[in-house]
Amino acid sequence: MATKEAEEVYEKKVLDRVSDAFVDALANLFDKIRPGWKVRNQARVDEWKLMFYAFNRSPIGIAGAVLVAIFIIIAIIGPWIAPFSYGTSLALCNQTAYLAHPGTVVKIPKGCEALGVKPGTYRLILGGDSFGRDLFSRILYGARTSFVVMILVLLVGPWIGVALGLISGYYGGAVDETIMRITDMFLVFPGLILAIAFSAVLPSRISIFLKDHPWVGSFFLHLFALHPTERGALASLVSVIIALWIVWWPGYARLVRGMVLSEKENTYVEAARALGVSTTSILFRHILPNILGPILVYLSLDSGGVILTEAGLSFLGVGAVPPIADWGRIIYDGSQYFPSAWWLVFFPGLAILLTVLGFNLLGDTLRDILDPRTRRSIEFRLKKKPKTKEEGEEK
Amino acid sequence: MNSKELINYMKSTFGEPMVEVVDLKKYFPVKGVFRTIGYVRAVDGVSFIVPKGKTLGLVGESGCGKTTTGRLILRLIEPTSGHVYFDGKDIFKLKGKKLLEFRRKAQMVFQDPYMSLDPRMTVFDIIMEPIRAHKIKVEDPQKFVVNLLYEVGLNETHLYRYPHEFSGGQRQRIAVARVLALEPEFIVLDEPTSALDVSVQAQILNMLKDLQAKRGLTYLFISHDLGVVRYMSDYIAVMYLGKIVEMGPAEEVFEKPLHPYTKMLFASMPVPDPFEAKKKPKVEVIGEPPSPINPPPGCRFHPRCQYAMDICRKKEPPLVMAEKGHFVACWLYAKK
Amino acid sequence: MRCKDPIIVVKDLYVNFYTYAGVVKAINGVSFEICRGETYCLVGETGCGKSVTSRALTRLIKSPGRIEKGEIYFYPEPGKKIDIMKLSDEEIRKIRGYDIAYIFQDPSASLDPLYTIGYHVAETMAFHGVVQSIKEGIKKAAQVLRLAKMPDPESRVRAFPHELSGGMKQRAVIGMSLANRPKLLIADEPTTALDVTIQAQIMNFLKELKEKENLTLLLITHNMGLVAEMCDTVAVMYAGEIVEEAPVEELFKNPLHPYTRGLMRAVPKHVGKNVTLESIPGTVPNLIFPPPGCRFHPRCPYRFDPCDKKRPPLIEIEKNHKVACWLYAKEGGKR
Ligand SMILES: Nc1ncnc2c1ncn2[C@@H]1O[C@H](COP(=O)(O)OP(=O)(O)OP(=O)(O)O)[C@@H](O)[C@H]1O
Ligand SMILES: Nc1ncnc2c1ncn2[C@@H]1O[C@H](COP(=O)(O)OP(=O)(O)OP(=O)(O)O)[C@@H](O)[C@H]1O
Ligand SMILES: [Mg+2]
Ligand SMILES: [Mg+2]
Repeated sequence: MATKEAEEVYEKKVLDRVSDAFVDALANLFDKIRPGWKVRNQARVDEWKLMFYAFNRSPIGIAGAVLVAIFIIIAIIGPWIAPFSYGTSLALCNQTAYLAHPGTVVKIPKGCEALGVKPGTYRLILGGDSFGRDLFSRILYGARTSFVVMILVLLVGPWIGVALGLISGYYGGAVDETIMRITDMFLVFPGLILAIAFSAVLPSRISIFLKDHPWVGSFFLHLFALHPTERGALASLVSVIIALWIVWWPGYARLVRGMVLSEKENTYVEAARALGVSTTSILFRHILPNILGPILVYLSLDSGGVILTEAGLSFLGVGAVPPIADWGRIIYDGSQYFPSAWWLVFFPGLAILLTVLGFNLLGDTLRDILDPRTRRSIEFRLKKKPKTKEEGEEK
Repeated sequence: MNSKELINYMKSTFGEPMVEVVDLKKYFPVKGVFRTIGYVRAVDGVSFIVPKGKTLGLVGESGCGKTTTGRLILRLIEPTSGHVYFDGKDIFKLKGKKLLEFRRKAQMVFQDPYMSLDPRMTVFDIIMEPIRAHKIKVEDPQKFVVNLLYEVGLNETHLYRYPHEFSGGQRQRIAVARVLALEPEFIVLDEPTSALDVSVQAQILNMLKDLQAKRGLTYLFISHDLGVVRYMSDYIAVMYLGKIVEMGPAEEVFEKPLHPYTKMLFASMPVPDPFEAKKKPKVEVIGEPPSPINPPPGCRFHPRCQYAMDICRKKEPPLVMAEKGHFVACWLYAKK
Repeated sequence: MRCKDPIIVVKDLYVNFYTYAGVVKAINGVSFEICRGETYCLVGETGCGKSVTSRALTRLIKSPGRIEKGEIYFYPEPGKKIDIMKLSDEEIRKIRGYDIAYIFQDPSASLDPLYTIGYHVAETMAFHGVVQSIKEGIKKAAQVLRLAKMPDPESRVRAFPHELSGGMKQRAVIGMSLANRPKLLIADEPTTALDVTIQAQIMNFLKELKEKENLTLLLITHNMGLVAEMCDTVAVMYAGEIVEEAPVEELFKNPLHPYTRGLMRAVPKHVGKNVTLESIPGTVPNLIFPPPGCRFHPRCPYRFDPCDKKRPPLIEIEKNHKVACWLYAKEGGKR
C-alpha cells in the first residue's frame, strides 16, 4: 500500500499576505542599504514572517494592535483634526457650551474670532466642560500628552534599569549587592508616592533650567502641541517625565538581573568565554539579544502603565496644570460635576481604559510570539490542496 | 608516592605531557540561609597528565567531577588549590595577552549541542566569533568559514542558517568547526556525543579521530559511555566522587580492570549482544553513589565495595602504580 | 498472527502533529502486537516516534497531536477484547494507570514536589478504587515501595521527592505504577536519566518483577545494550515506521534491514582506537516532509528503483521476522 500524501498548504489569510509584503519590503530596504543582507538573513526574514503569522492568528493580539494603532494615530494627528484648541472656552461666546450634554449644538456668533473660532454652528459630540471647552478636542489633545509622556519615559527609564541589571547580573558579587540594595530602596516605596514626591520637588529647578535654555522649552511645546503661552506649565510636565524615569528603572533592573543570571548559566555563554570572547562582547552580543524579547513585552505592558500613572498623577493634582489637556486632569476637573456631568469622567476614562487595555493585550500576545517555543506550538489550520484525480483514486 | 613522583612516573610511561594536572581541587560552597554550610568536593585532589598528540579518556558516573575537571583545565573556573601546567606554564598565573594566547590553544566542545550555540547567531557569525575575539586577520572570511565547514562535513549552504535549523549532530559539527577556527592544540571534549543518536554518534567520533590524525591534536575525552571511550582513547582515567581511582592505557584497563569500582562500572554496562549478555557474569551493584558533600571517610568507594577491609574505612588509598603504567587507588593493591 | 494470546494489538496507526512549521507525520502506519508475558522493545533514534506510539496506546496524545487513523485492541484477559479507540475519555482513564501503567524518562516530572511519596502512591490506588481512601493507601504504600526495592520503604513514605536521588525517584515512580498491579507496563526510557550502575539495578529489578508478577513489559529505549539484555521481541522504528521486527537473538544474529544493520555496526562494542566504526551517513529526516517511498532510502547504501517511490510493506521473511524493505519484497525485482 503506497500512501501518497495529498500536498497540504497553510491557509494564508489576507493579513498574512499583508504582513508578508511588509516583511519583504523591509528586507528589500535592508538589502539596498547593505547589499547582500537578504542572502545572509533569509532565516531571520522567515522567522519574522512566522511571527506575523502567529500574530495574525491571535484575535486578542489584533484587537490590542488595533487599539494601540488608533491611540498612536490620534496622538499624532489629533491636534490637527480637533475642531477646537484644547483651551478654547466656548462658554465665553455662548453659555450653552457650559457643561453641555454630548451632542449639544452650539451656535458661535460673530465677534468670537479672538478665541480662534470661526462663527457658525458646532456640535459638541462628547459635550463640554465647566469652561465650555469641547471635550472631544480635549481628549484628542490629551492623547498627544499621554503619548509623548509615555514615549519619553520608556525611552529612558527602563533602559537605565536594563543597563544596571546587565551589570549587576553578569558581574555579581559586591557590584550586584550594591546595585540591588539601591534598587530595593526604590522598590520599597510605592511608585506613585515616589513619583508624587519627585513631581512636587522638581518643577522649580526645571523651570529655571527651561528659562536658561529656551530652545528646550520650544522643543517640548511642539512635542506636546501646546500654545507658546503655556511655556510656564511645561516645567510640571517635564518633571512628571523625570519622576517617572526615577520610578520606572528599579523594576527593570530586577527583571533584567534575573534574566541575565539564568542566561549566564547557558552553555553558549561559557562556550564564548572558553573561546576568549571579552566580557563586553558577551554582554552585548549574546546576553542582551537573548533577553530583548521579554524586555519588549514588558515595555509594551508598561506603556499602559505609564499612561495610567501619568493620568493618576494629574488626577492627584501633580503633573499637567490647567488648561493643558490631559486625560487624568480632565477626569479630576470633571469629577466635581459628577454624576450630573457624567461625560466628563466617562469619556476620558474610556479613552484611558481602551488604550491601557490595548497595550496589555498587545503585550500578552507579544509574549507568546517572541518566545520561539510557544510560537512554534500554535496550531495552524490546514487547507488541502485540491486533490488531483490520481490521488483521489488511491484513497 | 607523592603527586610529583606520580607525575614523573606517568611522564616516563605515557610520554611527554601537553597538560599536567597536579593536586587539583575544586570545592563548591553550599549556601545555607545565612552562611556556607558545607562544600561540594567536586574535584578533590587529582593528578594526571594528558600526553601530547594522544587522547586521555575520563570516565565516571554523573556528578563525579568530570566536567569540573575539564573546566578547571581550561581555566573557566578558578581552582580551590592545585596547579595545571599547559606546555609547562601554570595557567592559573596567566594574565592578559598570555591568557588570550592560552585560550586560543586550548579549547572545549560541550556536551549539549542544543545549548552551546547562541540561538540568535548564524553559523557564519558563530564560527567567526573566536576570530573576531582574538582579532585574527583573515583575507576572505566567507571562504575561511566555508573551508572549516567542509572540514567538519558541512557545506556553504549552511552558512547563513540558525542553529535551530540543524540536527544535534550538525550542531556538534558547527561547534567543532568554531573551535578549529583558532587552530588549537588541545581540545577538551565534554561528552560530545551523549546528546546524539548512535548513528550520528559514529559520524562525529570518526570525524574527531580524523581531525586528530590530520592536525595532531591532543584530546581530553570526557564520557560516561565506556564503549565510546574505548573507541576514542589511548589512555583512560576512571573517576569516582572527585578522585581518580584508576588510570592506564585504554586496552589494559578494559581488559584487566583492577579497581572494584571499575569492575562494577564495566559490569553494569549493557552489552549490545544478546548471546554475550546471557553469558555475562552477574555483578551485584550495591547502593548508590554517595553525596559529594559528605563523602565517606577512607576510601570513598568502600560502602559499595564487596572487598571492603578495615583499612578502607579509615585511610584513603593513594594512587599507586600497580603494574607498569597502570595506576590504581585501592588498598588491595597498595602497600598499607 | 504472531501471538496466540496477545495483550495489545495495534493496526495501521497514524498520528499527526499540526504545528506551524507543518504537519509532522509522526506515526505513519504502525502495526504490531505484544504477546502476554513477553518483553517487547521499541528501539530507534530520537524523534522516530517511540514515545508517541506508546502514548497512543491509551490515547494519551495531546493537542496539537491527533490520532488520525488506526485500531487499537487491548485484551486485559485472554479473549476479552476492548476497542481502545471507541472508549469514552472516562473509560480510558480507568484503564490508564490501572491495567496499563506508564513509567517515563524523567522521574521528577511524574512527581509533584508538594506531596510525599506515600501520598503519590496512595493517590493512584485510591483513584482506581484499589483502596477506599488516601489514608488507607498511605498505610499500604510502604508495601508497594518494598515491591519496587526501595531501600527503607517505611521512612521513604514520608519523604518528599526532592529528598530522594534520581534512582530512588525512579523507583518510587515504578512503585506508583505497580501499585494497581497493571497487566501491561510501558517503560519509556526509564533509565536514560540515570547512571549505568543504577540502570543495571533497575533493569535487574524489572526482570525479576516480570517473572514474579506475570507482567507484560513494553520497553522503549535507544540503547542496543539494553535491548540485548532485556527483550524478547524487538521492533526497530525509523522515522515513524516499524522497519523490522524479530525475536532478539534473531535480530542480532541476522539483521535484515539496512538501517538495523547500520545501527548495529555504529554501536562501539569492545573496539579500540585502531578500528574504524561504520556510521550511517546523513541524518534522520524531517517528518514534515518525509522522503517519499521508503523513508530510509536517502541514507540507504542499497537503495534501488522502487525505494524512492513506493513504500515497502512489512512482510514476514522468516518465522516471526518481519522487515519492510524492497530488498526482501517480491515486487522489488532483486531477490
Ligand atoms: N557551579 C557549581 N556550583 C555548585 N556545585 C557544582 C557546580 N558545578 C558542579 N557542581 C557539583 O560538582 C559535582 C561534580 O559536577 P560535574 O559537573 O563535574 O560532574 P560530571 O562528572 O561532569 O557529571 P555529568 O556526567 O552529569 O556531567 C556535582 O555534584 C555538581 O553538583
Ligand atoms: N507536541 C508535539 N508537537 C509537535 N511534534 C511533536 C510533538 N510531540 C512529538 N512530536 C513529533 O513526533 C515525532 C516523534 O516523537 P517521539 O517523542 O515519539 O520520539 P521518540 O522516538 O520518543 O524520541 P526520543 O528518543 O527523543 O524520546 C518527532 O518527530 C516529534 O517531532
Ligand atoms: Mg558533565
Ligand atoms: Mg521519547
